[in-house]
Amino acid sequence: MIRAHSLTKRFTTGKGQSKNAVDGIDFVVEPGRVTGFLGPNGAGKSTTMRMILGLDAPTSGTVSVNGHRYAASPAPLREIGALLDAHAIHPGRSARDHLRWMAASNGIPTTRVGEVLELVGLEPVAGQRAGRFSLGMGQRLGIAAAMLGDPPVVVLDEPVNGLDPEGIRWVRTFARQLADEGRTVFISSHLMSEMALMADHLLVIGRGRILADCSMTEFMSDHAASYVRVKAPALADAAAVLGGRGLEVSRHDDEIRVVGLDAPSVGELLFEHRLAVHELTLVRSSLEDAFMGLTADSVEYHAIAPSEGVAR
Amino acid sequence: MTATLMESGRVVERGDVARPSFAAVLRGEWLKLRTVRSTWWTLLATFVLGAGLTILMCWGNADWLASADADESPGSFITWGMMVAQITAVVLGALVVTTEYGTGMIRTTFAAVPARGRVLAAKAVLVTVVFFVVGTGTALVGYAGGNYFLDREGIGMALEGDVLRSMYGSGLYLAGIGIFTLAVGFLLRHTAGTISVVLALMLILGNMVNLVPGAVGEWLTKLMPGNAGSAVSTPVAFNPNLLDPWPGFGVFLVEIAVLLAAAYVVVRRRDA
Repeated sequence: MIRAHSLTKRFTTGKGQSKNAVDGIDFVVEPGRVTGFLGPNGAGKSTTMRMILGLDAPTSGTVSVNGHRYAASPAPLREIGALLDAHAIHPGRSARDHLRWMAASNGIPTTRVGEVLELVGLEPVAGQRAGRFSLGMGQRLGIAAAMLGDPPVVVLDEPVNGLDPEGIRWVRTFARQLADEGRTVFISSHLMSEMALMADHLLVIGRGRILADCSMTEFMSDHAASYVRVKAPALADAAAVLGGRGLEVSRHDDEIRVVGLDAPSVGELLFEHRLAVHELTLVRSSLEDAFMGLTADSVEYHAIAPSEGVAR
Repeated sequence: MTATLMESGRVVERGDVARPSFAAVLRGEWLKLRTVRSTWWTLLATFVLGAGLTILMCWGNADWLASADADESPGSFITWGMMVAQITAVVLGALVVTTEYGTGMIRTTFAAVPARGRVLAAKAVLVTVVFFVVGTGTALVGYAGGNYFLDREGIGMALEGDVLRSMYGSGLYLAGIGIFTLAVGFLLRHTAGTISVVLALMLILGNMVNLVPGAVGEWLTKLMPGNAGSAVSTPVAFNPNLLDPWPGFGVFLVEIAVLLAAAYVVVRRRDA
């Protein structure tokens, strides 16, 4: 279990100014499920993860792993396994040697190195220098390193970055399996679509603040707006009928959008009023849209849409 | 202390888990050191420069040293190559630390061993042992080869007294430079910066402070790390105004201790 309390990290940004990269956040990452840590780039995900691992010291607040500060852990790699940066390896050292020194430093038997290499499918290239690895292979090596101590808490920062579709699916299955074994699994990403397939629970962060902390299903129903699109010859009458029932109705060109009632009920209601219907569709905005909507205010760098750019 | 671990596929609390020993951290660092090629290249350079240049200098100067117009002692030549080989100790001392910062691996290291002081200590111990052994061995080979040419001119030296001291003294000096640079590496975190600063301090600044007038300049020269530490590595110093071997090495050790202490404080406080 990972528990953060009023966790804050302030960075000075030059000229005496400072900003809170992580701004007094509270959260609990529970065991037995995959918790997705979602946020745009620069939202504070990596800083938070570094603080969990004791690499960055919080400006204020605390974060604990299994009830104690990570630095105080008697068995660091056996308590928490982490993939922070796939490039953070010496390019001249082989994958096997990289894992061997890590194992040695924590008194983990060397036999475990072969096991984790097999686990991530790097066995055939284990003797190669890590500098020759593709980003995807680096990610796999990072995951192998995280699993060295068979830890009950696993933290992965953007693990699917650079992986091919097969690799992405592998990470997804792997994360699920870890959670099913009762482990605490904390995975960051800036891609909602990925999290939707992988996470049970969501922690959305933007500009260093927690924007949502809920189950994936809750997030979907709360944030992914849905409406029923109605096309009918007598559009004004239909709108009047539905509006008369206290539903939220808006008109867009040749269609009306109804919020608050499912499609079959809308159809039946219009049928009762003998109104012909040409189209009746439930439209769900994607999770990606929901996430964008939620974090729109907290994105660090906005791109100017091409059309706006041409305007002047 | 209590730790939460996995056992037989289940999450369990264990109250009897001991922190990985310093020996474990040392084993990890030793594996790191010997599994990159740069370590072996650098140590090969130590040997080739240290022993090779000594032999070359003795071969080239033996007959002049034996002549009446020699104004230097053969004792100044018998470890000559070590003056150049010290550069390799600077390089390896830096690389052991700065490549980790350069690649970002330092975060993997500190995540695996959150007790950062132990990482620093393990690296320092390794650099010390490696350079003491390699430095002493190199000096002995240089002596054996160089003394062959000196012997031919009748000015050979027995492996005893100051000559013997200069052998393990060479090992000690190289080890000292290695840790000195390692500490600077932890402070600066950049390979090029660390190597330049230490080389400038040892080779350039060490000679330039000589230009400061009067007793101040004289003492500054004596106390500069390269000057104070190197006397132990030669039977007869080229520069007669330096501190005696052991007092000089004592000064060098104090300087190393100060840098290590600074590195220890900074490494523990700074975000990785």
